[in-house]
Amino acid sequence: MRFTICAAKPEDCKDIERMIMELAVYEKMPDQVKITHKELERDGFGPNPFYQCLVAEVPEELMSKDGHTKVGYALFFYTYSTWKGRTVYMEDLYVMPEYRGKGIGKALMATVAKVAKEQHCVRLQFSVLDWNKPSLDFYLAKGAEDLTAKEGWHFLRFHGIALDNLAQEAP
Amino acid sequence: MDFTIRAATLEDCKDISRMILELAEHEKVSDQIKITQRDLEQDGFSKNPFFHGIIAEVPEHLKSRDGHTKVGYSLYFYTYSSWKGRAVYMEDLYVMPEFRGKGIGKALMAKVSQLGLAAGCNQLNFTVLNWNKSSLDFYRKQGCWDVTSELGYHCMRCEGDALEHLAQGDL
Repeated sequence: MRFTICAAKPEDCKDIERMIMELAVYEKMPDQVKITHKELERDGFGPNPFYQCLVAEVPEELMSKDGHTKVGYALFFYTYSTWKGRTVYMEDLYVMPEYRGKGIGKALMATVAKVAKEQHCVRLQFSVLDWNKPSLDFYLAKGAEDLTAKEGWHFLRFHGIALDNLAQEAP
Repeated sequence: MDFTIRAATLEDCKDISRMILELAEHEKVSDQIKITQRDLEQDGFSKNPFFHGIIAEVPEHLKSRDGHTKVGYSLYFYTYSSWKGRAVYMEDLYVMPEFRGKGIGKALMAKVSQLGLAAGCNQLNFTVLNWNKSSLDFYRKQGCWDVTSELGYHCMRCEGDALEHLAQGDL
């Protein structure tokens, strides 16, 4: 299938917002999505962007049932390992169901990896839900390691009132 | 105990490097450290830093057995949640053993929270090894929750040959 992978532009944010919601529905947590295209525009395209994004697009004649040509995306940002140095974290990787199995997901991820290497990053990290077998299989087949299973790493989080309370104790 | 919490400077990289190694020894992985003081200087204090640091310092008369006044640090960077927006990730939080139990760790973490909230973040994220009971207890007591246990997210990583092949589109 013919498709292109390009760096996202501000006008892509409406499609990225749409696909973020589709991914959240797939992950069974659509009520958790609070972001809108306005925040995406503000946070991804200023002088100090919080994230980078790639968009996969198909030509007009291959548009989706609902009339979309932007059919996948990868959202990532630079992070740091105090053991190994510069790293990239891939926050989202998503391809619309009717476009899967055609190499688009792999191309998106490979492009993130290529950008990471160009910036001298030594790791690409991301997270997957433990019940999401198709995604786990996809990633493990590409040589990813499951650090939670292998080494016991857990993600922890502060948000809401707990975060406010903690911040108030800062000297 | 009398201590101050302040932003890290270039001159602190030597002590941060020392404490990174101490933390790695505590996590039983000191052979994994590839990062040097020079890497920290270049990656944390250039035009587009990969991370920010906070240092906990005690006055001269309270210095450690080995003569150090810089006795704890936190290293963090800004990330992005495609569901919630701006977030902060705390990569390391460390206090030298002889200075624990005096509120320094909490003060460091509170400072990261305060700075994160000021930057418009609504989450503070980090990881902990599941066998590290003392750290898990400390964090839970402050009001955080375990995203891996509660939602099933696993930390995944591509590095080395796997990252090379991925970037080349080989797999």
